[in-house]
Amino acid sequence: MSLTRTLLSVAVSLGIAMPAFAAKATNNELKIGISQEFDSLNPILSSMVASSYIRYIVNRRLTNLDSDNKWQPQIAKELPTLENGLAKIVTVDGKKKIVTNWEIKEAVKWGDGTPLTCDDIIFSRTVALSNNVSIPEREVYEQIEKIDVDPKNPKKCTFTYQKAIWNHVNQLGTFYLLPKHLEEKVFNKYKNQKEGYEKNSNYTKNPSNPGLYNGPYVVSELKLGDHITMVPNKHFYGEAPKIKRIIIKLIPNTGTLEANLRSGTVDKISVLGLTFDQAISLDKKIKTENVDFSVVFEPSAVHEHIDLNLDNPILKDIKVRKALATAIDKEQLVKSLFEGKQPASLHFITPKDPWYTDDPKSVTTYRYSKRQAAKMLDEAGWKEEKDGYRYKDGKKLSLNFMTTAGNKTREAVQVYLQNQWKQVGVEIIIKNEPGRVFFGETTKKRRFDMAMYAWVANPENNPRSTLHSGMISTEKNGWSGQNYPGFKNARMDKIIEDMEGEFNPKKRLELAAEMQKIYTDEVPVLPLYYRTDNAVIPKNMKNFRIPGHQFSETNDVERWTME
Amino acid sequence: MLNVGQWSKPVGTYILRRLIQTVVVIGLISYMCFYLMTLMPGDPVELMIQSNPRITSEDIARLRELYNLDQPAYVRYFSWAKDIASGDLGYSRTYRVPVQELMGPRLKNTFVLSFMALLTSLLIALPFGIYSALKPGSRVDYFVNLLSFGGISIPSFWLGLILIIVFSVQLGILPAGGTETIGVDHESTWAFIKDRALYLILPVISLSVQSIGVFVRYIRSSMMEAMRNDFIRTAKAKGLSRTVVVWKHGFRNALIPLITIFALSFSGLFSGAILTETVFAYQGVGKLVYDSIMANDYNVAMISFIISVSMVLMMNLLADILYGFADPRISYT
Repeated sequence: MSLTRTLLSVAVSLGIAMPAFAAKATNNELKIGISQEFDSLNPILSSMVASSYIRYIVNRRLTNLDSDNKWQPQIAKELPTLENGLAKIVTVDGKKKIVTNWEIKEAVKWGDGTPLTCDDIIFSRTVALSNNVSIPEREVYEQIEKIDVDPKNPKKCTFTYQKAIWNHVNQLGTFYLLPKHLEEKVFNKYKNQKEGYEKNSNYTKNPSNPGLYNGPYVVSELKLGDHITMVPNKHFYGEAPKIKRIIIKLIPNTGTLEANLRSGTVDKISVLGLTFDQAISLDKKIKTENVDFSVVFEPSAVHEHIDLNLDNPILKDIKVRKALATAIDKEQLVKSLFEGKQPASLHFITPKDPWYTDDPKSVTTYRYSKRQAAKMLDEAGWKEEKDGYRYKDGKKLSLNFMTTAGNKTREAVQVYLQNQWKQVGVEIIIKNEPGRVFFGETTKKRRFDMAMYAWVANPENNPRSTLHSGMISTEKNGWSGQNYPGFKNARMDKIIEDMEGEFNPKKRLELAAEMQKIYTDEVPVLPLYYRTDNAVIPKNMKNFRIPGHQFSETNDVERWTME
Repeated sequence: MLNVGQWSKPVGTYILRRLIQTVVVIGLISYMCFYLMTLMPGDPVELMIQSNPRITSEDIARLRELYNLDQPAYVRYFSWAKDIASGDLGYSRTYRVPVQELMGPRLKNTFVLSFMALLTSLLIALPFGIYSALKPGSRVDYFVNLLSFGGISIPSFWLGLILIIVFSVQLGILPAGGTETIGVDHESTWAFIKDRALYLILPVISLSVQSIGVFVRYIRSSMMEAMRNDFIRTAKAKGLSRTVVVWKHGFRNALIPLITIFALSFSGLFSGAILTETVFAYQGVGKLVYDSIMANDYNVAMISFIISVSMVLMMNLLADILYGFADPRISYT
């Protein structure tokens, strides 16, 4: 849609697009524009990002990561820890397990007034573990061996895990709840049919039933592919929502989001709206106009990087990898392309993460130096010749650099890096592919030299799937791992394995620091920058924050208000 | 004029034969489309992996089995065809809702938008095209030609953006996007129609401008060709009125190429508005079809293929039948 954006910019510069006609946003109604489609609202099934955005308006879980990156109880009274005695490690048949005690707040009810109890938790786990239900990821449900309800209090229950894991609280952030009183009948009827439950779930057949939701709002109208309307939940246990009606409107063309904002079709653009360059452009424009909007930026947990294929004979040599890292002026890159709003990254852990460190003892940094990079390549045997490129044994130092075709930001970064690497004698051939080919074939089957894309780096996330040697995607394992560089390091494997059972936060920090040291020393990946989330909000909107992590801004929706 | 009764039996046989051919062609094309989709890299499970690195290899194996992705293409095709034959259009793996619930309202919306755009185009293009053909080289002809070429040259999505900026942002008189006013209970059917019509104005203009230009050019050319025939000169020499000469002899003979172009336009009703629907956030089927193909959402993509193929085949059949009405020399025996 870049052409659209260009045309819109031309229209603006010609003075065609001018004032904002939108009325000031009030607490009577808030219309939010999003550019991504949403799917079913069944919390355990939906996998689209836009559905998560909606899910947190209408549903709450046991735990939540707040905007300050701290885990908090949501519908639970307290988080169980070894220190407060609500969690304990037991040994059963010689195997260590963790047992945690949970109590749901007394006032927590479904939208139809039915109390939410531990029976709902057990039912949700039963549905999630059914082989006929296509839940994308069920590790969080599988890790729990059993749930026992207190016979005296249905709001109290005990979780026994398969093994002793320290991050049981974090895991429950994605343990979603279903109302047993509405969904059990459907599940029992269709549980033996492939996808029978999801086809007939109330979330599919009758999504405006308030009993399906336990959050501050309930769905009053849903039109897939168009909009969703939500009104306050009369039985919500927490702070009463201030906004009387929230409408989320799908506007698939990001180029027209601004026009929709100015015409009053929407009052706010969510984090799932404008692209980064559109947000920068709008921010500049509205600073010169007297309009009632402001653009909010927040660095996110999405890490943009380049995977280096370590099976490539050139990239196998660590000196070449280090030279490539040294030849990039990342600070200048983020300054010139992103006006400094997307910070350069040192490694895969984001600055908001408790595990983050920039301590030179724990992180090897590569300060930009053309001379140093050239020296490293000389040492690796790659000598510069008359044409400006380097050769070794008659072979040119040439690498394919791939990313998703059509992503303007990535393409601009590619051109910038191609130029920087050319200055030290490395030929870069840009070879981009549509997203589905790039992810569906190229990265999965590791058919690249250098591949640029992004991962979401959630706080305190053990990078088993991306850095453990057992997760290198191969034909043998059905191309199922996500260690696309093919990184093998025995110490890294050991740290990842030890991390899972390490209950001492201090020791975990030490392990995480060592992990970052190995990662930056070995350079299997060239870290580039952390992406920044953006949203456009009415100037009179209060209590709005972009958390910058996997749990969306809508977790605080009941606190939003217009003044 | 051809006596329909005289050829009703051959036409009946002809239609029956063509319908049988249509069913066979749909079956063959649907298998080809299904097979080609299986050759495309990535599948719904791949998409889940991309958005969630925490999906384990066990999850991947479980989902592939659940979605039958571990089966050969022909097994999956016959399983899909069996469900279709029993009236079950399947389940969207991307949106996690039954296909009929997902596509039904969108198909209706797209049909309304495309049909209104086609009707508008025809109603404007017919008189202008015919008038231009009858007065070639006149000022009106030059003006109509200028507008036609202008219309053909303007990309519909660009026009859409300009229309939004002028009528929604600057003048604030028409909605910038959507299908209907959200959260309003209409007091009457008329109020509902009025509301929907308001949201149709800009997308219809955006879609029609280009086709008006194309239709005017076709109509003008066909009509000029027909008016140059000897029988037109004979009709004029016989002293027939201008209306009879133009409409009964000229226009009727100009109809054959026009029927072809209109039939082709009709067959594209469900798939021709993707850019306009996206620009105006109109809840149509265009973007859904595109996304379903990109995401390998087989059930949605296959239904849209079937609809597109059926429309093309049925409209071609209709065109063939209409040729007989337009030109009595065409025989079905």
